[in-house]
Parts: sequence; C-alpha cells; structure tokens
Amino acid sequence: MTVFQALLLALFGWMSSIYSPVLIGGLLGWYTIGRPLVSGAIIGFIMGDVTTGVIMGAAIQMLYIGLVTPGGSMPADVNYASWIGIPLAMAAGAGEEYALALAVPLSTLGVLAVYGLCAINLFFVHMQDNAIDKGNLKLAAQVPIIGQVTNFVLRFIPIFVIDLFGADLITQIVNMMPVQVTDILQIFANMLPLVGFMLLMRVLCKVDFDLIYFCIGFLLVAVGGMAMIPVVIIALAIAYVGSKGDFNAKNAEEEVE
Amino acid sequence: MAENATETKLSKKTIARAYWSWMFFNLSVQNFERMQGPAVVKMLGDVREDLYPGDPEAQKKMLARHANFFNTEPYLGSLVPGVILGMEASKAEGADVPDELIDSIKTALMGPFAGIGDSLLPGTIIPILLSIALGLSPNGELLGPIFYVVVFLAIMLPLTRFLFTYGARTGASAASALLESGIKDRIVSIAQTVGLVVVGAVTASYTQVNIGLVFTSGDLTIDIASIFSTLMPGLPVLLMAFLAYFLMVKKKWSANRMILFFLIVAIVGYFTTILTVSAA
Repeated sequence: MTVFQALLLALFGWMSSIYSPVLIGGLLGWYTIGRPLVSGAIIGFIMGDVTTGVIMGAAIQMLYIGLVTPGGSMPADVNYASWIGIPLAMAAGAGEEYALALAVPLSTLGVLAVYGLCAINLFFVHMQDNAIDKGNLKLAAQVPIIGQVTNFVLRFIPIFVIDLFGADLITQIVNMMPVQVTDILQIFANMLPLVGFMLLMRVLCKVDFDLIYFCIGFLLVAVGGMAMIPVVIIALAIAYVGSKGDFNAKNAEEEVE
Repeated sequence: MAENATETKLSKKTIARAYWSWMFFNLSVQNFERMQGPAVVKMLGDVREDLYPGDPEAQKKMLARHANFFNTEPYLGSLVPGVILGMEASKAEGADVPDELIDSIKTALMGPFAGIGDSLLPGTIIPILLSIALGLSPNGELLGPIFYVVVFLAIMLPLTRFLFTYGARTGASAASALLESGIKDRIVSIAQTVGLVVVGAVTASYTQVNIGLVFTSGDLTIDIASIFSTLMPGLPVLLMAFLAYFLMVKKKWSANRMILFFLIVAIVGYFTTILTVSAA
C-alpha cells in the first residue's frame, strides 16, 4: 500500500460516506459509489485489480443489501467496511472471506463515527442560530458547507491511517492463520448473504405465501441456470399479471356493490 | 402586475438553485437535535434574494422560521422541501400564509415521506437494482457496478428534479394528492414482487451450503450431497434460506444474532464434517 493509494482511498471513502455533500449528496455519493459493489470496483482500480475489488465488494454488498437507515439511526455503516475492509484484504492477498471478516467489526466502528458526528454537529446548529440572530444570513446559509469538516475528519483520517499502516499487520495475521480457520470463514462467508437478503425480505414479504416468488427466482437460477436479465423479465411479467389480478378483483367488487 | 410578480419569485432558475442546494447539502451537517434542519435553512438562504430582494429583515424572519427540526427521506421526499419553497414563495408574493401553516404542513409531510421514501428507495428500488447488478458480475465483472450507477442516476436525477419542482409549483396540495392516490400502492406491489423474484435468483447464485457428509459401509459409499442434488439442485441453500427467513422475519432475530448463528453453524458444521468448503 503506497501513500498515494491510501490518499485516494481516503478521498473516495469520504466522498461516498452518508453525510458527504460533494457528489450531489447521496445521489452520486452514499447511494451510488457508496454501495459496496461500486466501492469495490473503485477500490479495485486504485489497488490495481478491478476483478478482485468487485468480487469483495459484491460479498460485502450482499451482507448489507437490506440495510435501511431510517431517521438517522444506523444499524451498520458500510463506509469503513468497504474502504478499509476491502483494501486491507486485497493488500494481504486474502480472499473475500477476509474482507467480510473485517467488514463486520468495521461496520460497528462506523456506527460510532456516525453517532459521534451527530453529537459534534450540534455546535454548527448553534452557529447557524447565532448567525440568523445577528442577521449574518450568508454565514447561516454556509453552515452546511463549513460543518462538513466533522464528516471529513471522521472519514478521511481513519481510512487513510488504517489503510496505510494496517496493511502489513493484516498481511501477517492472514499468513499466520491455520487452514481450518480459513475453511470455517469460507463456509461462514458462503452463508452470510442470507442475512442481508432476509433483512430485505422483512420489507418485501407481506405474507408468508409471498415466499413463492422468492422460490421462483431461486429455481430459475439454481435449476434453470438462467442469467439475470431473463429473470428480471419473468419477474416483471409475474408482477404485472399479479397486480392486474388485484386490480380486476377490486373492480369486480365495486361492480357487485 | 401580480402575475409578473409570481413569475419572478418562483422562476425556473430559483427552483433549480434551491433543488441543487437541497440535493447536495441535505445531510451535510446531520445532528441529533435538528437532523436536516440546517439544510432547509441553507436552501432558503440560497434563494433569499429571489424571494425577498433587498429586504434583509424579511429574509431573516424566513430563515428563523426554519431553524428547527426537519427530517425526511431526502430524495423521494424531495417533494417536501419543494413544497416548503412553494409556500415560502407564495408568502413572499404577499399571499396570506401564516407561519403556523408552513410549520404544520412541513411537520405533517416529513413523516409520511420519510416512511414511504425509506421503504421504497433504500428498502426496495436500490436493493433490486443492486441484486440485478450482482447477477451481472458473478466473477467480478465490471458490468454490474456500471449498470447500477447508470440506471440509478438515470432514474433518480430526473425523478427527484420532477418531485421537487412539482412540490414547489403546486404547493401543499401536491403532496396530499400523491399520498392518497392508488397508483403508489400498485407501483409498490409490482416493485415488491419483482424484488422477491430477483432476491431469490441472487440467493441461488451467491449463497452456498455444501454438504460434506459421506457414509461408508464396506464398499458402499453414500454421498449425501449428490442425493440432495438429485432431488433438487441447491436444495441445502433453499432449506437454509427458509431457516433464516423463519429466524429473522418471523422470530425477528437481529442481523448480528443471525451472523453469530451462521458462525456457530460454520464451526460446528466444519468439525462434524456435515459442511464443507466446496462441493465435492
């Protein structure tokens, strides 16, 4: 890991964090290059191995795919998980199971950063109040720009420091691991996507019978060996017919009345 | 005269300036006390000269009105800051818009749009697009990430712009019309069905549960994994998915508890040789 690589990782890591404004807020930031799958591709470019970056990004993405952050509460933070977990696993030449093993504790560390930020930023809220009171409206409008400093410090510095100095340490640890540990981590990592998918199912599955749609998708790939695009087309057809059925049923009810 | 005034207060340029201000800075100084409140102040502060040209007292009053709590889903909920801008513009044009009305409409809208926005955007649209993207990158191909970035921005940039402008132009009536219409329910229902099928597909391509159990008695070897795959390819994964569904969706296990559970399953499975790293 070179200083230049660590700087680039820290810069993109900051820009893709949830509270960074620079890339049209979350539109091109948190919700785009901040998704671990996309972060993985960028990290891959920086580290010189795009394929491995995307593979590790995909692994972390699946774990956190059902992550919703309502009202500022943050169950897990994918920012450190991606921008520290993936580069360190790549620097150590380890597999995606190590990226995942790093991602889980890092996501908890990221949550601490989020809550710390929400407390520190109270200072800027009062700065804005004072500015309005004193009629300094220009300053009041600039507070969200100035106050970004908290987020910058809490993202750029930890990512830079840990990526730069942690790479050697992680490499040593990975090399010391007995084969049993790597095998267990692999079995574990193979099942882990289910956690993210089931978080998602809490939103998507209205009644247990909706699991049948999940099974259709599963069978199309597991038994049918189908690629993603045809699966989406079939899914759209099923959803369209289903919603039409509901619609007709409603109309019929109204006619009876 | 009055018509001219209307055009100058809420020109395309003013709406655009407020829109970009909101899009960039909505979460920039997120905090426990007021959440996105400072961003609303910024948005109105950035257009203060358009609404009250050369009247710092009125500008100051406007910003002071919004120096309080605000929280919604910033992107699909961009209709709400749009409505705020629309109401402030009417007030600036001289319409009788009491402060309490602005406050109460703001408060009444931000909750529902936070709920709908969160369940529709990070809860449904983004995971579906990501699932498709994952399906396009089974071996680390760049196609998946590129697909996601292009499609997400192609949907969200025009959509947020439309919602914000719609809110600003039609004011408070826009939001209630949208909340009550049946179209929303139908879109949600279609999106959820597509989501379920796609998640099932991605589960099949990315999750692995490999059974390592082999019974030997004399010359006879019974390989449990091959029996399973004769019944149905991927059956162990599907059964594990059902177990995870039962524990996380029905029993409401937390993600951390489930992660711990899988770790224990992996350790026990490895040492009892029930589970193995890759299919034999």
